[in-house]
Amino acid sequence: MTLTPYLGGRRLMTMAAAVGAAGLVVTALGAVVGDPRRVLYAYLVAFVYWLGLALGALLLLGALHASNARWPVVLRRFLEHLPAVIPLFVVLFVPILLGRGHLFPWVDPHGLEGEVLHAVEHKKPWLNVPFFVVRAAIYFACWILVAHLLRAWSLRQDAVGGHDLTRRQRALGAGSLPFVALTLTFAAFDWMMSLDPRFFSTIFGVYWFAGSFVGAFAVVIIAANATRVDPNQFGAHMNTEHFHALGKFLLAFTAFWAYVAFSQFMLIWIANVPEEVPWYILRIEGGWKAVGVFLALFHFLVPFFLLMNRAITRVPGRLAKVAAWILFVHWIDLYWLVMPHLDPGGPRPSLWDLSAFVGVGGVTVAFALVRMRGTVAVPVRDPYLEDSLRYLPQ
Amino acid sequence: MKSYVLGEFGAEAALLDAARTLRARGGATLDLHSPYPLHGAEEALGLRKSTVPLVALVAGITGAVSGYLLQWYTVGYAWPLNVGNRPPHSAPAFIPVTFELGVLFSALAIFVGLLAVYFGFPRVHHPVFEVEAFRSASIDGLWLSAEVEAGDADAVAAELRRLGARLVSVVPEGK
Repeated sequence: MTLTPYLGGRRLMTMAAAVGAAGLVVTALGAVVGDPRRVLYAYLVAFVYWLGLALGALLLLGALHASNARWPVVLRRFLEHLPAVIPLFVVLFVPILLGRGHLFPWVDPHGLEGEVLHAVEHKKPWLNVPFFVVRAAIYFACWILVAHLLRAWSLRQDAVGGHDLTRRQRALGAGSLPFVALTLTFAAFDWMMSLDPRFFSTIFGVYWFAGSFVGAFAVVIIAANATRVDPNQFGAHMNTEHFHALGKFLLAFTAFWAYVAFSQFMLIWIANVPEEVPWYILRIEGGWKAVGVFLALFHFLVPFFLLMNRAITRVPGRLAKVAAWILFVHWIDLYWLVMPHLDPGGPRPSLWDLSAFVGVGGVTVAFALVRMRGTVAVPVRDPYLEDSLRYLPQ
Repeated sequence: MKSYVLGEFGAEAALLDAARTLRARGGATLDLHSPYPLHGAEEALGLRKSTVPLVALVAGITGAVSGYLLQWYTVGYAWPLNVGNRPPHSAPAFIPVTFELGVLFSALAIFVGLLAVYFGFPRVHHPVFEVEAFRSASIDGLWLSAEVEAGDADAVAAELRRLGARLVSVVPEGK
């Protein structure tokens, strides 16, 4: 197979960058003229949403290498590009670092009292600013290193071919999984769970992962469907079985998200321990209850039954619509995870939610397109590409 | 009185062609036997969409509903239990059992249903196994079986030979 390297997308890239810049400028203005605390919370939701998708793609890439999967070789290049946006998030992390005092109650214990103060003092060895920064640096270093090597080896294979680079990718892909999984978990603890210093849940990182992982599948499906008409793109080389397989994964991990969400909720609810329950009381009483019910119905039940239909999973256009819905409810999910600490009474949507979302999203998409330029959209000399192209599950 | 006509083929294409031809001829209930899944077998046999998903769904919903009702009736209504001061009817605590019973009913319905439909349980032996050579169906042989009226068996056997079967046997049922 010979493909022309991807050079286009200039218009799309400019548009995404413009929308992103506009969103970020509006958000920054909001922090100056409006309530900086509200703006920072909105920004945090957008940050963990887009970064989570990139991390989901990185873990998916590692998992596919670990399982010696041949069928997804045709779409693997796209999965290699997605985590390549993570360096951008080092820059995007700066506002969170600067606004830490507004976000995290443990940064400045003055004014805290009772059990919150007690929790902050008890967790001081972990929840302190210098260590927080060091940990973030470790997380980013780990993600960027793994993402860079997997992508670089794959790109080099386009030129030299052979099995050697495949073996290396498989070893690193599999070997990186525990490290990426643990750094992701602790990042979730640091950036979202510590919004309430009392709360602790060991499955919390898995919850962020579960939503992001199903979101990464959704991104792949949407991109594959959108590029079906372009013979230089990977979508054009995928057959019905590839889409069906992605649809089945979307179904499986939608169920996995629900399983994790319910496990965390049920165990905390039934144990009824004073340190843990306030986190859920905040979310199942008042205005946030409706959001929780919405998530159970529309992040799980409806997509679950939709994705059981072959009439949807085997038709790329329809599958892409469900995938777009998944990406939308995933944002609601993270909003529900973060925002109750700002608005305990119920959701109070603001302009900054939208501006932060399109701001971070726009620059992320633009940067992803920059990373894609000059590379071919399919690993053309991967020894298993032929197997992937004639993928027909038994 | 029924008979089974068995034919062994050397190639997938010939087997599928034979299935299509015999199906067009009519008067026979066809099946294919191979050591691995055959692509195009459903189309060649003219199989309708499987009813297994519907059976699984109905059984799963039945299991989930009965699982919930069982807990509600026993713990929440007939003999209310105070566990850690939670209300007797506590939906979150009922969900795991509801889910498990849904899965259990669904799996059992598929298992028993397949035994009954595909293997004709309680029949424990199928006439096709009377043919010694049919063992190759689980090793390297591609077989077609046709369930026909006894009087038609010889004609179908001749047709199978004409279509390229390298081995043809006729098994009368009920001996």
